[in-house]
Amino acid sequence: MDTCIKIIERASPLLLRRSLAGAFALLLCQPMVAGAQLSGASTPPRAELGTGTAPPSPDMTIPEPGMKAPAAAIDSPEPPLNNAHANFAPNDPPGEWRRQARDYANTRYSPLDQITAANVAKLRVAWSFSDGTPNGHEAAPLVVGDTMYIVTPFPNLAYALDLSKAGAPIKWSYDPSPTPLAIGKACCDTVNRGSVYADGKLIYNLLDDHTIAIDVKTGKEVWRTKMGDVTTGMTMTMAPFVVGDKVYVGNSGGELGVWGWLAALDVKTGKELWRAHSSGTDKDVMIGADFKPFYSWMKGKDLGKMTWPAGMWKTGAGSVWGWVSFDPETNTIYYGTSNPGPRVPSQRPGYNLWTSAVFARDATTGMAKWAYQFTPHDQWDYDGINEDLLLDLTFDGKPRKVLVHFDRNAFAYTIDRTTGEVLSAEPFAYQNWSHGIDLKTGMPKVVAEAQPKPNVKVNNVCPPDIGGKDWQPSAFSPRTGLVYAGIFNICMDVTDHPQSYIPGTPYDGMEMTRHAAPGGNWGEFMAWDPVAGKKAWSIKEQFMTMSGTLATGGDVVFYGTVDGWFRAVDARSGKVLWSQKLSSGIIGQPMTYLGPDKRQYVAVYSGVGGAAMVSASEPGFPPRGGVLYVFSIDGESPHSAAGMLTTEGAVPAVRSERGMGGKP
Amino acid sequence: MSARQRRLLVALTVGCAALVASCGKSDGGSSAGAAPQPEPGATAVGDVPLGDVAGAAQSTLATQFPNPYANDPQAVQQGHDLFIKMNCAGCHGYDAKGGMGPNLTDGYWRYGGVPASIFNSIYQGRPQGMPAWNPALPPQDIWKLVAYIQSLGGSYPAGQYQAWLQGDKQGDNVPAEVAASLLPDQAASTPEPKGGTANAPSVPPQADIAPAPGTGK
Repeated sequence: MDTCIKIIERASPLLLRRSLAGAFALLLCQPMVAGAQLSGASTPPRAELGTGTAPPSPDMTIPEPGMKAPAAAIDSPEPPLNNAHANFAPNDPPGEWRRQARDYANTRYSPLDQITAANVAKLRVAWSFSDGTPNGHEAAPLVVGDTMYIVTPFPNLAYALDLSKAGAPIKWSYDPSPTPLAIGKACCDTVNRGSVYADGKLIYNLLDDHTIAIDVKTGKEVWRTKMGDVTTGMTMTMAPFVVGDKVYVGNSGGELGVWGWLAALDVKTGKELWRAHSSGTDKDVMIGADFKPFYSWMKGKDLGKMTWPAGMWKTGAGSVWGWVSFDPETNTIYYGTSNPGPRVPSQRPGYNLWTSAVFARDATTGMAKWAYQFTPHDQWDYDGINEDLLLDLTFDGKPRKVLVHFDRNAFAYTIDRTTGEVLSAEPFAYQNWSHGIDLKTGMPKVVAEAQPKPNVKVNNVCPPDIGGKDWQPSAFSPRTGLVYAGIFNICMDVTDHPQSYIPGTPYDGMEMTRHAAPGGNWGEFMAWDPVAGKKAWSIKEQFMTMSGTLATGGDVVFYGTVDGWFRAVDARSGKVLWSQKLSSGIIGQPMTYLGPDKRQYVAVYSGVGGAAMVSASEPGFPPRGGVLYVFSIDGESPHSAAGMLTTEGAVPAVRSERGMGGKP
Repeated sequence: MSARQRRLLVALTVGCAALVASCGKSDGGSSAGAAPQPEPGATAVGDVPLGDVAGAAQSTLATQFPNPYANDPQAVQQGHDLFIKMNCAGCHGYDAKGGMGPNLTDGYWRYGGVPASIFNSIYQGRPQGMPAWNPALPPQDIWKLVAYIQSLGGSYPAGQYQAWLQGDKQGDNVPAEVAASLLPDQAASTPEPKGGTANAPSVPPQADIAPAPGTGK
């Protein structure tokens, strides 16, 4: 009743089409949630949208009940399904996790292989840690040496936990004391997407627009750089990204009319080196002679200003709240920009460059190399901030260096990361806003009826604002060639309300109700073949699947659900090998590490919040509460034997009663 | 006027210029059927206590500042329009049931749930990101917003100020007969009792309530 599995193999086109019709899916997977049809206070006129397109679904085989997990992973590793591979620079020690994606290419792949399909069902909690904050927990913990580092949602506490001692006691904890004003300026919960370790420092962003660095030895703040004015509605939630001596940070506030940017700071001092905006003149955007977008409609002078009504680019958002990737071979960083503001498109005719786009920039100078706008004149808040996985693969017989990106607009893009050419764009989630992406122009073919209109209720637009997949990052395994991701199956009924810009208040205007798309399930976990441009298999989930994904050398993939199930899945077959219910919903990012005892552990935060709250009225939706869980085989650790264990902590936990609902 | 306030006003002016009809309509509300009471000054409203009154005294100030637009359907509609136009809905939700900001349709009010307290929260702003709408909005418009919130059930019920301060309210799932046994007779507590002047507290102030030195937070 909770999960149904679609095991999918290489498809014959006929079967593929039949499964598209959905008959099999309905038989196999009972609809769990009735799609809500809004009955309404009839004032605004309505438009009804027809049915959309489901992504090309591979055909499926029905797993036998109690089917044994293939033991192949251990004894005779199967070859990958394709030749996709990645550069795992900076090649951190295999047992560590020093940055949110573990590597520059954003694979979230760990080579650790003690935990396999054969033993993963014996995972048990080794220890857990409540950080005392209730809001959405979207970060992965870091492990460097024998210490784990975690940062919390507002009030953005940091903890160092000593993995070498019983129960992992607190080595130090730090309260940066951000202003409470930031709580009410954060659009989508007071979340934080994690920290990065570099140069002996733990570096992360505070919700009130400061980037801070803490000495990991002492727990003392080394530097704090003010990046913006929180009273204008700007906040910071993304995880900083470090390459060499530079830390890259960006802002949040796409719903509050901020001016989006990505900035580079000096790792040693926190000094700002450059800041590239997402709209404005070429100077503002750091576009120069070297800027070579692939498509002609993105070529021209000052397009970040000229594709807007006069002056509106200044409050046009394009915030940078997602992930940064880095290609060391070309010294290029890649990142996405948010939706344009206000979210009411009729107020801002034009493409609204460079919002809902991806930038490639010189990592040193910050100058743009190319850009590509996924959703021109983004009318649905589809954004462009989702992660970019840097993979190398063969496409149409030619080796290509690509960027794989699952956009909120429900299309999976494979883009040549040296030129910005879209090689393929296929839907991975249910959508009805587009007839597809024209690969000649790079432009989506928009369904006219799916466009929001002022003061008109348009029903059943899919995906909704939070997309076919939100910020929750995917993972890639070089052992299978597949990319794994938690995705959504959601639609919205939307009414646009034209907005005035009032600093410090939402510049938004979308009134929405979200409901499950056809099938009734809100979530899905998929394995995507980036060479074939289609799913290899997928697992339907009753609730949103909004956790990060972890891929491992043991051919086990981990993810969590918004109702609190943490699952381990066979990386090749998609068979669910283990599920554990945690205390709250899971929107954190699982990671894995080697303890000081050389044992492999898997860690994930439970603590629902963020965009998952759009489904908070679904039966079974869990309460909030931030708890970190750490698992090992049989729950064993050097300090979990029978007997009287005691805590050897260095300090007490920092005061942490500053979250929402706590001290005003 | 600070630079920021000036910016805000400019922005509002620009916004209003773009939305002439709505902003014009929300001004004043002089055409309301029931003629509004004299405009309450915001300074006087500032006397409404935020917490309980020391000495366990009952405050009557709350009832001295009724919303002049309460139950005025036109003002409620204008309050609703303001709620959309001033971007309140962006934080509190188009149904006012909360989002970035708190739910405004229930009885949980951190800064007080009588109409005058709600007025103050809008007028002064609150420290977790609620902006102060003085001077951007005239007091009449703020009262209309309060009227709209009241129309959604978002305030302490009339005459229940002391009861709600003390948490005397029934849970959502309590059977009516049980609730009746839990609550004091609501009818009896509606207007301030005792017949005497409204400012006579029913419980005399105690003499020894000052906190001991050094125990302050």
